[in-house]
Amino acid sequence: MAAESVLFGRGFWGPIIATAAMLLIAAVGGLILLGGRRVTKAKPSAGKLKTYACGEELEAGDIHADSEQFFSPIRRVFKPFYRYIRPAHSGDLSNYLFWVVVGLIIILISIAVAMGVV
Amino acid sequence: MIPHAPILAILLPLFAAFLTPVVGILSRRRDIKRAREWFAIAAVLVELLVVASMLPTVWGGQVLVYKLGGWQPPWGINLAIDGLNLLVALIVAGIGALVMIYSFVYMERDTGLDQYYTLYLLILAGMMGVALTGDIFNLYVFFEIMCISSYALVAFRRKWQSIEASIKYMIVSSLGTSFILLGIALLYGLAGSLNIADLAQKLGQVSPSAVIVPLALFVTGFGIKIAMVPLHMWMPDAYQAAPSAVAALFSGATATVGIYAMVRVVYILFGAFAIGTMLATLGLLTMVLGALMALAQRDLKRLLAYSGISQIGYILLGIGLGTVLGIQGGLFHLFNNAIYKTMLFMIAGAIVYRVGTSDMDQLGGLWKNMPVTGTLFAVGALAISGVPPFNGFASKWTIYVAGIEAGQPVFTIIALITSALTLAYFLKALNSIFLGQRPKHLSDVKETPLPMLFPIMLLAVLCVVFGVLPQLGIDLVRPAQEAVMNSSGYISEVLRGV
Repeated sequence: MAAESVLFGRGFWGPIIATAAMLLIAAVGGLILLGGRRVTKAKPSAGKLKTYACGEELEAGDIHADSEQFFSPIRRVFKPFYRYIRPAHSGDLSNYLFWVVVGLIIILISIAVAMGVV
Repeated sequence: MIPHAPILAILLPLFAAFLTPVVGILSRRRDIKRAREWFAIAAVLVELLVVASMLPTVWGGQVLVYKLGGWQPPWGINLAIDGLNLLVALIVAGIGALVMIYSFVYMERDTGLDQYYTLYLLILAGMMGVALTGDIFNLYVFFEIMCISSYALVAFRRKWQSIEASIKYMIVSSLGTSFILLGIALLYGLAGSLNIADLAQKLGQVSPSAVIVPLALFVTGFGIKIAMVPLHMWMPDAYQAAPSAVAALFSGATATVGIYAMVRVVYILFGAFAIGTMLATLGLLTMVLGALMALAQRDLKRLLAYSGISQIGYILLGIGLGTVLGIQGGLFHLFNNAIYKTMLFMIAGAIVYRVGTSDMDQLGGLWKNMPVTGTLFAVGALAISGVPPFNGFASKWTIYVAGIEAGQPVFTIIALITSALTLAYFLKALNSIFLGQRPKHLSDVKETPLPMLFPIMLLAVLCVVFGVLPQLGIDLVRPAQEAVMNSSGYISEVLRGV
């Protein structure tokens, strides 16, 4: 079948070979890492582990990245989207029902256009 | 095949649902511990066996027609099983069994478990009925059984948040089922039949303008159930508020049944391949909006709910393309989505079980305490993001290629970018929960209990198997794809001798 040859045959994507290659690369990477650790011994010192934040010394356990700020640059790119779409997901039931009605109208018009009636 | 397997697949969970409280009462009186749970697990395992027994016949190219009371369709009610609904029944039975095993420990701290297992088995009976029936009104009835059980399951813990989410879900979903009922009434007025095969035959002779309104009502009704944009808003509230085992069942099985009903009605009943582009476009909107909303979430279960919406978009895109490859990709993604979405919700449940919250800002560094759970989460996250060698890559790749083959490279590009977004928000989740600094109050957290880990591990193995051997998945969904594209075969088999 043509679909099979496009997908998983003749050179496009050989999943078993690719998986074996990935595992091999991971194993080589692991060996390099282990080798590196053997050659350069870690020299821990108390000062290296201390966290200095705006004059306050924090315990390691007190520091945690705020998930809201994670990928904030990406979210800044989509700021207009969030400005309009997030309030629509506020939990207001009338809002949900409004969008169901809007959805029905959109689908009705789209079907009419797709079936060549309008 | 087990004799009477089609009807047994529906009756078994239905009767087990009503027997479960009796078993519960008896086990308490006789002091037999957890007999109710073992009974429920046995019921779903037998259910899986019954469904699996139909595979050789249906994969051999037959459409199984089971006539209730011996009445010939279209006059009598029948169950008609082709490759498409058998795939769905298999997913429902498989996911139902695994989530039931998971519930054994996950739900042990809850009270009112007689009701939980009754509702759980009832929802399974509803889903199986929707999947196997050959009658559109029966489909509606089973759909209602599924929906009503699911409202009760969302509100199961009777907290303010879960009751509110359940009421919202009930109102929005009832509007959807009303649309479906109205669509059925209009169809009956048009063609004078309720048998899907008979209706499909008769609608071929009806003017296209007459079917627009019922078709739109069906698409909107099922669109609410699968959370297609802009009908999706109930889903994050419901999934966040429901117990994680319930959310796992919804995301893996209920969503699959919703997609099935949509495909059955649009492509087989109406033969409306012309609206494929509309479905694909709505699929694109669904995948992008779901991914962008997931990126902004603080709560893991809410993130997974939006991610589920996004994945539904991929399935709609593949199915909407309407080509052999597109439908294969869409159905393969449907199968894969059931695997990793169930798995991820189970992991979210395991975290809630051990830590007591799914708020990512209160978590961190849990890999030290839960290394197996963390590894399984990484497998699920990479699979859903479409990273090779996991199963999500294979089905997404099929959809990408299908988009290009169908002359819609823009669809493929948007799908690719959305995949990158998926990876981004799952890396955020992985980092927030399992990596980084561990808050002091989490230092005593223990690994997930083994009975909860077992179904998650099994699903993780499937993520790897269908990724490394994607042809297995394609072979699994091919009978379903052929059924979608050969509605005349379904019609002639059901109406044979009429």
